[in-house]
Amino acid sequence: MAKEVTRPTKLTKRSSQAGMKALEPRRRHRVTTFFRIVKYGMSSFSRNAWLSVAALAVMLITLLIIFISVVARDVMTSTVADIRDKIDMSIYIKPDTPSKDVDKIKVDIGRLSSVKSVKYVSPEEAHDEYAREHVNEDNTTEVLNKAKNNFQGTFNIKVVNIDNTSELENFIKTNETVKKALSERYKPSFSTDRKQAIDNIANTVRFAERVGLLAAVIFIVIAALMIFNTIRMSIHNRREEIHMMKLIGADKGFIRGPFVVEAVLTGVIAAVFATAIGYSLLFLAEDKLEAYGVAVHQTTSELMVFLPFIALAMILIGSTIGVVSSILATHRYLKAQN
Amino acid sequence: MILLDRVTKSYEKKGKPAISRISLHVEPKEFVILVGTSGAGKSTVLKMLTREEKPDSGKIIVGGIDYDDLKDKQIPFLRQKLGVAFQDFKLLPTRTVFENIAFALEIVGMPGREIRNTVPKVIELVGLKGKEKNFPDELSGGERQRVAIARAVARQPKILMADEPTANLDPKNTWEIVRLLEKINSYGTTVLLATHNVEIVNRLKRRVITLEGGKVTSDQAQGGYKQ
Repeated sequence: MAKEVTRPTKLTKRSSQAGMKALEPRRRHRVTTFFRIVKYGMSSFSRNAWLSVAALAVMLITLLIIFISVVARDVMTSTVADIRDKIDMSIYIKPDTPSKDVDKIKVDIGRLSSVKSVKYVSPEEAHDEYAREHVNEDNTTEVLNKAKNNFQGTFNIKVVNIDNTSELENFIKTNETVKKALSERYKPSFSTDRKQAIDNIANTVRFAERVGLLAAVIFIVIAALMIFNTIRMSIHNRREEIHMMKLIGADKGFIRGPFVVEAVLTGVIAAVFATAIGYSLLFLAEDKLEAYGVAVHQTTSELMVFLPFIALAMILIGSTIGVVSSILATHRYLKAQN
Repeated sequence: MILLDRVTKSYEKKGKPAISRISLHVEPKEFVILVGTSGAGKSTVLKMLTREEKPDSGKIIVGGIDYDDLKDKQIPFLRQKLGVAFQDFKLLPTRTVFENIAFALEIVGMPGREIRNTVPKVIELVGLKGKEKNFPDELSGGERQRVAIARAVARQPKILMADEPTANLDPKNTWEIVRLLEKINSYGTTVLLATHNVEIVNRLKRRVITLEGGKVTSDQAQGGYKQ
């Protein structure tokens, strides 16, 4: 005959407290756990090969675009600086200006704070230079003879900033010695036309920079979404597994960890490839670009010096995209504890 | 060891409760069979013990742990203290028998050497020696359930819960699993077996708690069950 079992005994607070203590995590072997998470991450990276390759490709393109836009920005900036640096202002003076006046003007101009350097080319020097440059042309001698007296004395002036020439212009307009000596035939050239062209280039560069930045941002977002989706897909495929892991007591870190490791791995590998490809492309194109007057040299030599830092930065960017998107992607599945 | 005091749970807000005001008390080292037709509330009781579900009201204390004091963060640690075997085994399909069992130990941070020591012992206990390197889909249902039980007991929990572990098995395998549970119980583990298999209930002559419509209708020390 079956007998009835006793009703629940009274609950005591003390027994409950002792029990809660048992829930304190046992001394976790953090290093062991870390290596296990890394191991699981790597094995799922290689096991889901095609998903990994897809994520890798997106990450690679993103990083490459970031790299290219940063490099292009640098190259364009130094090209513009290069061009601006080559521009000088020319002030033509009468050939018969006394050398005392010439020296005085030179010194005075040199004192202006907006002027970087002044060089005086005498009419004779100008003549000789012209002759040298056109030595192979048939009618050079004829032209030279005719123009004998047309060569003016020239001040070639480099300014600190081509956007700021007012001080110089003012000086030329007001200085008595200059006024007297100023050539009647040629007006002083403040390179206004050239300046306009250069400003146009600079504006184009600024625009290109912005477009590059925007493209980089868009691609980062796309890459993050793609990687986010890749991880979500693989989580979706493995949701039973995740549920089971939760049921046997795996904590969030242990479940999420391998996904994060996988994403970091994708980021690092993509960064290494992107850096290698980016560098190769730049070095292959270097000579051609230089031939077009693009100042790549400075950038490439900088890149060589900073290679370790750039590679590190790429790895950081890649793995940050990976970590952020994997944490976001796993969040939804790990929110509920059941 | 396990204590439920007037526990009620409804899945739908205004629906009929899945279990209502259930009270039961299981002593350490007991072997208890939870019996009832499907929908009687067996699974709900087990899900509440593993904290997959929260009760609407009532108190649950397992192994001295008061579930009211349980924070979400502590749930993994609670589950690490319980052994659970499921009807559908819930094995990791891409991992071998050894790895499946080892996984349960890895998540509690057991050192590798200890794991390599423990897993073969558990595999021997459930009688799967020689199958360490097989994947779950290379095993029969009975063998898979043994892996699941091995995984559940590898951490030496004080309580082993089995939710319809034999539902997908033929009679021979069913009995082997039941014998295995008895063996585990003989080592001092409290066993809570949910089943609707009348034969098991009647032949085991163990304590039987019968659930019907979410209520305990009988609780007999050496019970039987008629459907």
